[in-house]
Amino acid sequence: MPSLQAGYAPNLGFYLKSLKAQPVESSIENLISLLKRRQITNSRPCAVATAHLLLQVVAKFRWTNIDKLIERIQDVGRRLIEAQPREMVVGNIVRRVLGMVRDEAKEERNDDASDSASNSQMGSPRQEHIDQGASHLGGPPPNFSPLRYSTTDDSDSTEANGDDVFGGKTQAASRPPLITSHTSYAPAGGLPPQKSMFQLLSANPSPASSPSGAQSPHNTSNLNATSLSHRLTTSTKDLKAEVIEGIEEIVDELDQADDRIAAQSLEYIHSNEVILTHSSSRSVQKFLLEAAKKRKFTVIIAESYPNDHEATHKSVTRSIKTDAEGTDELTTPKFSKSLSDAGITVILMTDATIFAIMSRVNKVILATHAVIANGGLIAAAGARIIAKAARVHRTPVIVVSGVYKLSPQYPFEFESLIEYGDPGNIVRYQDGALVENLEVDNPVYDYVPPDLVDLYITNIGAHAPSYLYRIVADHYKTEDINFDKPELQ
Amino acid sequence: MSHAQKSRVAAGGKGAAKAKKAAGGKKSENDREDTLQAVILADSFETRFNPFTLERPRCLLPLANTPLIEYTLEFLAMAGVADIFIYCGAHTTAVQSYILSSKWHPSTSAASPFNTLEIVKTTARSVGDALRDLDSRDMITGDFLLVHGDLVSNLPIDEALRNHRDRRIKDKNAIMTMILRAGGLGEHRTKAKGVTPVFVVDPSKNRCVHYEEMHPLQAHKYVDLDEELLKDHKDIEVRTDLIDCGIDICTPDVLALWAESFDYEVPRRHFLHGVLKDYELNGKTIHTEIVDDRYAARVFNLQSYDSVSKDVLGRWTYPLVPDSNLVAGQSYKFERGSLYKENDVMLARTCKAGKKTVLGKGTSVGAGSVVSNSIIGRDCQIGKNVTIKDAYIWDNVSIGDGSNVERAIIANEAVIGKSCKIQPGALISYKVGISDNTEIKPNQRITRAKRKRDADSETEEEVPSDPSIVGPSGHGYEFRDAEEFSDDEEAAFHSSLIYSTQHLNLSNASISTLSSSLSADDEPTGPRSRLSSFTSLSDDGDNEGFHHDAVQGILDTLHEHGDFDSAKLEFMGLRLSNDATDHQIRRAIAVAFSKHISQLVDGEDQKTEASKAAASAFATSGAVQFLKNVALSTGTEEDAVDFLRCLQKDAVNRSSGPLVLAAVCQRLYEEEVVGEEAFLRWWEEAEGMGEDEDVEMMRVRGKTGVFVEWLKEAESESESGSDEESEEESEDE
Repeated sequence: MPSLQAGYAPNLGFYLKSLKAQPVESSIENLISLLKRRQITNSRPCAVATAHLLLQVVAKFRWTNIDKLIERIQDVGRRLIEAQPREMVVGNIVRRVLGMVRDEAKEERNDDASDSASNSQMGSPRQEHIDQGASHLGGPPPNFSPLRYSTTDDSDSTEANGDDVFGGKTQAASRPPLITSHTSYAPAGGLPPQKSMFQLLSANPSPASSPSGAQSPHNTSNLNATSLSHRLTTSTKDLKAEVIEGIEEIVDELDQADDRIAAQSLEYIHSNEVILTHSSSRSVQKFLLEAAKKRKFTVIIAESYPNDHEATHKSVTRSIKTDAEGTDELTTPKFSKSLSDAGITVILMTDATIFAIMSRVNKVILATHAVIANGGLIAAAGARIIAKAARVHRTPVIVVSGVYKLSPQYPFEFESLIEYGDPGNIVRYQDGALVENLEVDNPVYDYVPPDLVDLYITNIGAHAPSYLYRIVADHYKTEDINFDKPELQ
Repeated sequence: MSHAQKSRVAAGGKGAAKAKKAAGGKKSENDREDTLQAVILADSFETRFNPFTLERPRCLLPLANTPLIEYTLEFLAMAGVADIFIYCGAHTTAVQSYILSSKWHPSTSAASPFNTLEIVKTTARSVGDALRDLDSRDMITGDFLLVHGDLVSNLPIDEALRNHRDRRIKDKNAIMTMILRAGGLGEHRTKAKGVTPVFVVDPSKNRCVHYEEMHPLQAHKYVDLDEELLKDHKDIEVRTDLIDCGIDICTPDVLALWAESFDYEVPRRHFLHGVLKDYELNGKTIHTEIVDDRYAARVFNLQSYDSVSKDVLGRWTYPLVPDSNLVAGQSYKFERGSLYKENDVMLARTCKAGKKTVLGKGTSVGAGSVVSNSIIGRDCQIGKNVTIKDAYIWDNVSIGDGSNVERAIIANEAVIGKSCKIQPGALISYKVGISDNTEIKPNQRITRAKRKRDADSETEEEVPSDPSIVGPSGHGYEFRDAEEFSDDEEAAFHSSLIYSTQHLNLSNASISTLSSSLSADDEPTGPRSRLSSFTSLSDDGDNEGFHHDAVQGILDTLHEHGDFDSAKLEFMGLRLSNDATDHQIRRAIAVAFSKHISQLVDGEDQKTEASKAAASAFATSGAVQFLKNVALSTGTEEDAVDFLRCLQKDAVNRSSGPLVLAAVCQRLYEEEVVGEEAFLRWWEEAEGMGEDEDVEMMRVRGKTGVFVEWLKEAESESESGSDEESEEESEDE
């Protein structure tokens, strides 16, 4: 990976800064190049870049009807996915945005219908709402300001509030999430899917992050939502504002996913447990740190040589997580303590000793690169060995992943999802004899089949692998799943 | 980096360049840190890729089906360079039209990461000329990257840049930082073969203090270090393991230095060597940044084309690998075993497309064919039962059934007939047609390029096909590069002895014979004579490169009965550039003359008498003057004695040595090149050695004894005449 120090080399930070000033087409091409050159890698940076780009695409695109907008987003999405098909989050974000646009459009249509039907009844209250809406959609919505990201970085308050917002779900995370989600999905057969989508979105913005006025329409009931939609009928401009707001909510979700996941950690990590984890992942680190606030336990880290071992070492000893967005102002580096500073007993070991130590491990916690619809996951190379060893010892395997990593795609060839990296990490290029005579393969990822995973902890709760398809159905529209492959539609 | 500037991408073009220049002019150092400029030398000013480069510039040749310059531009984009200047010489229009249609040009493509991209056409004939031209254009406002258009690298250079800046702040004279890739001490396919760059580095300051290039043609394998260097630097590393990828971070001072020394042609052998040597004079320092991580290499000859291709397929250049699809429209996918396949490839069910293979779009491979370790371009038709191994096949090539291609390069639109056999090392250029059942010999180079009939003619015309090579219905003729051997041994090393190690070994053999035929003349291999050379003239071994070139030059003149006036110019130039001593000059001249004469004497066709041979040699126009002015420029007796000793020593190795020596001595005396005092003194010194004298040396001067006796007699006569006369005589000489 290119060096991330402040220099000339472009990275996510540079990219996000350049977004505003550049014409959209340049931004798109720029991101494509960055993805191709792997100057933006890993799930979160890719997701953040994609979401911000789509925000610009929507904001700067002149459209008259919603289908044009969908086409446009599909077109951009197709190009991004083609640029780097193995970064599945890019496609996920595009599909999420598409789904959201479709929801908004549907709502608009419904409301058109209901509008004409109920026109006579709702005369005056509607007028009121329009006024309200006009006052707050006249200019750019208050949400639409980069400043608010910096406010979300106030991590303490975010966490606290996250708990509040999340309240019910978090408490019941071990079992009831199934039920809570069922309540929203069970009637889904009859209901338009946007309802659950809407709930999801409304659950996301934290009160601290947005000025109180902005989110009020979301947190209110259906009634309010329908009245809100009346505003949309006034012009596409309002719809545009809605879409932009929706994308910003996705950005917020990306930002807060780790905290949401971490908030559940006490449910899963108990005192004096021995936990095995692998590679360096911000999600997992936060998860462990959160638990360490209240409990003492031991963490064994497999260093995931050769692609990630340096980052792994740093995560143990250094306090700054040198994640790809380290220099990025918009998602400011989270100054989390290192694991050992937090009072966790940390044992570092090589990947080869995993099986030997597995008998002493109570729980395996894995980070992911992407989760696929069947419940399997793509994770840093070595994850499969760990999962397999855990299976032999009947050790539970917990996967920590934001919902944004969950992809609706179900590839038939898992091999095609695995990226082969720089063999220079394994064999030094100086070693002429090896370079000449050997073929050195350096797969960066592993595929872990769903039967090796016991539980997924996401920012919307914990789920069994077999249940993921429901979440997929909830987050993505069927018509969007294969939008990038016209031959499958 | 200022993103306001970066955002001007779309505006791009010359307007932005001017604006920046104006800004750069006014503001000082702080501003120049803002953007990074880069100069790409798209013309190599070499002919190593002939015959392909007759028709296309090197930077557009495909490496793993992607033009070379794409890799270079990706590297620069990765580094965050904002302004690019592409220097083109030959084939400017081709480069221009390629760049304009690519994603890189800011005025034609929204995807360009650069603010400005300017293609500069130059009439330069060397890198030096191009850089001097750049200096005069005044486009460079600050530190810039100087790279070649054939660079393949995924190095992040931020750190090197930072170090460069830090050094620069501390010391204004730190003008350049070279980025070098450690290549390990053992054999390495990507290390330069043949010519070994030697970097002498002070590791404490990362400063390069000396640079030299060594190649196997050189008989002595020493690096000459100024002893001052050893005094001034506590630690010194002499490194031959470095892969020189030609990435230089330069300050504008570098251009000024180039401009000052108009005889510098190439960046390393001339510029680097020269600047380091003149450290006392100019006080400029050049630093190195040695990296042992990531990839960087240049495709500077066909051998490196082969090795870098392998590196790309082996993913060492990740992320610059085929399945990153860097060029718009590519659709490569990576399959296990390093098979890179684009969409729409048609593979017959029974064919085997093996590992480390690239197959471009629209290519079809027939039944029973086997493709391994090869790169095949787009729209190629590979027939049935074809075997392709280690080969590079570019676009639109068709290969007939049953043919066999091994370790060859076949360029665009070539047609290979059925049951042909293309042997290793063959280069088949654009549009060549090979008829059925033809065998192409190893290392044969076939082209259809038009060429000038002779050096004077203006128009290029088609050359008739040579059926003995391409078969009765084929098209193409064998390409021969006339200049290549006489011009520069190194060039021969790079271009003619193609690209596989296999060939290189073969070439090594030929080189060793070549060098032995040359060096055996002056440095006999027998232990005894070596001893003698050590005792008599200890600095004989120095500057072998000079000696070799010089001897060759004089020999050519003698052989062709050419004009010594021009030879003298050349010779003096050589002397200056190599900093040869007077003794080395004398030695070279002595060796050349004695070799030429003895060749005449021992000539297989007709034997010439030694005296006649010597006379003919001295009859060459200007020869006498040359000897007087160059070999014995000081005119002192010591020099003359030294010259004679060189002659004597050289004659030791000639079968007819004694005869030649005697004849030459006589001539020298007759032409008044060497005076009798010198002869006598030389003789006395030799006699005086008595027992210590080498047997061989004694034998060789035996025949000359008669001449010396005669001299002595003559002298005693004249001595009886008058002392003054003899003094005058010696002064004349």
